[in-house]
Amino acid sequence: MLLIALLCVVGGMACGRHLPRLWLALVLAGMAAAIGAASLALGDGAGWEWRSAFRVGGEALHLRLDAISAMFLALMGVVGGGGAVYALGYWTDRDHPDSAPRGRLWWNVMLLSMGLVLLSSNGLHFLIAWEMFAISSYVLIALDRQRRDARAAGWLFLAASHAGTLCLFAFFAMLAARNGDWDLGPMSGRAELAPLFWLALAGFGVKAGLFPMHFWLPSAHANSPSHVSALMSGVAIKMGVYGIVRFSGWFPVPAAAGWIVMGAGAAGALLGIAFSLAQNDLKRLLAYCSVENVGIIFIGLGGALLGAAHGDAPWSRLLLAGALLHVWNHGLCKSLLFFCSGSVLHATGTREMSRLGGLWRAMPWTAGLFALGAVTISGLPPLNAFVSEWLIYLGLFDAASSHDASGWAAVPAALALAAAGALALASFIKAGAVVFLGAPRTEAAERAHESAPMILGPMFALAGACVLIGLAPVALWPAVAGAAHAWRPVWAAAAPAAPLFALGLANVALVVLFVFAGALLWRKANANGLRRALTWDCGYKTPSARMQYTSGSFGRTATDWFSSILLPQRHLRRPRGPFPARAALMGHFPDTVLERIIDPAAAAVMSLSLGARRLQHGRIQFYIVYLLGGLTILAMIVLLG
Amino acid sequence: MNPLTISVELIFRLALWLLLAPLLPGIINRVKACVAGRKGPPVLQLYYDLARLWQKSVVMSTLASPGFIVGPAVAWVALTGAALLMPIGTANGALSFKGDVLLLIYLLALARFCTAWAALETGSAFEGMGAAREVSYAVLTEAALIAAVLSLSVQSGSSTLGTMLAPSAGPGAILLAAGLFAVLLAENCRVPFDDPNTHLELTMIHEAMALDHSGPPLAVILHGASMKLLLFAVLLSQAVLPIGKLPQPAAAAVLAGSVLAVTVGVGLVESLMARFAFRRVPLLLTVAFLLCLFALVLAWKGGAQ
Repeated sequence: MLLIALLCVVGGMACGRHLPRLWLALVLAGMAAAIGAASLALGDGAGWEWRSAFRVGGEALHLRLDAISAMFLALMGVVGGGGAVYALGYWTDRDHPDSAPRGRLWWNVMLLSMGLVLLSSNGLHFLIAWEMFAISSYVLIALDRQRRDARAAGWLFLAASHAGTLCLFAFFAMLAARNGDWDLGPMSGRAELAPLFWLALAGFGVKAGLFPMHFWLPSAHANSPSHVSALMSGVAIKMGVYGIVRFSGWFPVPAAAGWIVMGAGAAGALLGIAFSLAQNDLKRLLAYCSVENVGIIFIGLGGALLGAAHGDAPWSRLLLAGALLHVWNHGLCKSLLFFCSGSVLHATGTREMSRLGGLWRAMPWTAGLFALGAVTISGLPPLNAFVSEWLIYLGLFDAASSHDASGWAAVPAALALAAAGALALASFIKAGAVVFLGAPRTEAAERAHESAPMILGPMFALAGACVLIGLAPVALWPAVAGAAHAWRPVWAAAAPAAPLFALGLANVALVVLFVFAGALLWRKANANGLRRALTWDCGYKTPSARMQYTSGSFGRTATDWFSSILLPQRHLRRPRGPFPARAALMGHFPDTVLERIIDPAAAAVMSLSLGARRLQHGRIQFYIVYLLGGLTILAMIVLLG
Repeated sequence: MNPLTISVELIFRLALWLLLAPLLPGIINRVKACVAGRKGPPVLQLYYDLARLWQKSVVMSTLASPGFIVGPAVAWVALTGAALLMPIGTANGALSFKGDVLLLIYLLALARFCTAWAALETGSAFEGMGAAREVSYAVLTEAALIAAVLSLSVQSGSSTLGTMLAPSAGPGAILLAAGLFAVLLAENCRVPFDDPNTHLELTMIHEAMALDHSGPPLAVILHGASMKLLLFAVLLSQAVLPIGKLPQPAAAAVLAGSVLAVTVGVGLVESLMARFAFRRVPLLLTVAFLLCLFALVLAWKGGAQ
């Protein structure tokens, strides 16, 4: 199966340039094969392992597919296949004659390298695949290289990604130095490897967008083409999560790991969504929401580490299951939302929410799917993200009820999760309403049109997956339990630790009743007589589109509570004189970590480097002085040492 | 239990919630009238209003999509589902499982989502204001609510509503009662957070969101709001008092009495206090959150001994 997947993806690379239809068929076949392999591994739980007789780069290839990597591989298959269909409708050869073929080629490179990251069980090959993955992401982010902000976003991504890779180099090199070879596998008995976890956390945390290492993420996800954003947000950041899950399962971790991971997760969940609420750019809003959801995943993961350290408490299984399930759920619904945002961008040419509005009339399908995605990502029942957040809540409640030290982490995390959930609701009500409801604010929004079936098709598929997981969560339990077993072998795969069946039942009942009640009320309203009239607006007769509540005003109340962290930049031009001509208020929310920490640090490094460059000026006399000075210092060291 | 018993019980439970809920706003209005020395509208006024609205025709904004009408319906179903999960006296909820308390809280959130969505359909700035306030203040009330149920869960060692609500709230009962009462006032948009009687749209939260609705959708919104009030009153009573530990008839009587007491309390607060300025609302909600948090700390530290 994996061989078929590999052949299809490599074959797709060859023909991606000139034969887009064949490319699509090959990518879909490859992704189907990958999903098949993943479900086989998830089904029997035993996994698959293969060592090559030949050597690549001095090391034998060692591939391994177990339940953990299979979970991530299946997600990659779904989003990678859906994104390929979407790409053909969205980034067409007609509109982008230069970059569309290049995009298809690098799409396959990215899928291939992510697959290799998931499969390789050798440190050297892992690093090679990781680097390939970073470079292909860079090319895809900066696919539209005419645009300055896309180039800047790609550059920032590349720099951040390499800072992370540097940590991973150190991680794998020190591991290889301690083990004598690059081969990876379970080594839970080796307590001396525990401190290396911090290197892995830093390296993979950058890729996952774990707060405060998320600074590259908003611009990268906002400026790339939407199918790339979906793959980046849905799958690529999950590779960072995969790395931490993988190596915290295989290697021992320091005692503080659970606390730190959970704390960073809780902070990221809360602040990520606060930043999201403040945004006016639809795709930046979605990108910050990914920071929130990665935070939620890390709350679960940190709790699982904490529980494993507290004598394998039963609640830690709930937390790990919630975290792993949230990887899927967030991957599916965030890809759906990015596809929707791409559809809007395609139809109107802008991502700025204050220029949109009233799009539901022109694009009813996109509007409906965005509403579904908004309900999902806010973690509301009866859809899928609620199931995973519910599992995490249950684990946190049980941890708090255990009355031991873990409550100190569980209680703040539960409260952060509650506030983050409510803020997510505010953020997505805002996005949905400002973009799709009300009156069009500009001409571009008025002229919008519904997208092609190639764009809508993958969106429907992802929405269907979100609904299905919400209705039948118990069907996924074996997969999640298998992954938990692979993560920590003492946790034997057992009956569901939570009443997922009852929850599924409640969700099914709710969906049936929602449809029924909605139809009933619609019919009743029509039977009583439905009349259309101007919005009431308390009797005001000539409302204009500009009088509507904007995205900035909608989020103002809640973002003001976080203003000491968000540091909003507002420019107000007050109306002056008896006949004011112009007045304006502009609000801008730059990323605090990037502007206040990374940029000054980068500027300091730059000025230091420029200072060092002054030493090199081409005058030979001074070089002789340098030489003499160096020799004197060396001589002093020798004499004194 | 055979299917017949279950369905009879379900219908009885549903009828209880649906029919009793509109009584509460009537009682509140009667209390307010008494304190002010007026005669006031009949206690059953909301029933008459609902019956009348159900027969009326609908005027819909030219900008609104079908979501304008479907939203209130979904919100109403979510609130009814939440009500059915709530145990009554010694009887468990219609569906009882570990973690049902979180489903209940998130169904309330879903109802909020749908109401706010329907309000924003019209593109009116007033409705935008109301929806923005509703979802922003909900950040604090939801944190307070989670703190409250977490304290009950820690106290009783369970996250099933039936088991959590049966005993009394333990050492933190008074703190919890005060915190939950403030959450009740905020979530149901009562004074001092919002004034249901105001006629100045700029100052409203919930009423501002329903400005454009008329006919059956408005009836559904009003009925849902009254059900939410009853739900919070029942939650508050059962969380604080050990109702689940009493024999069934006594439990029902105590529950009815305490819901009545809470309702009268809301009426008295409304008669004796003025609405707060909007910038002070978050402060009051933070106090409610802290009260629930202290109740949680008490439950946590108290249980360890």
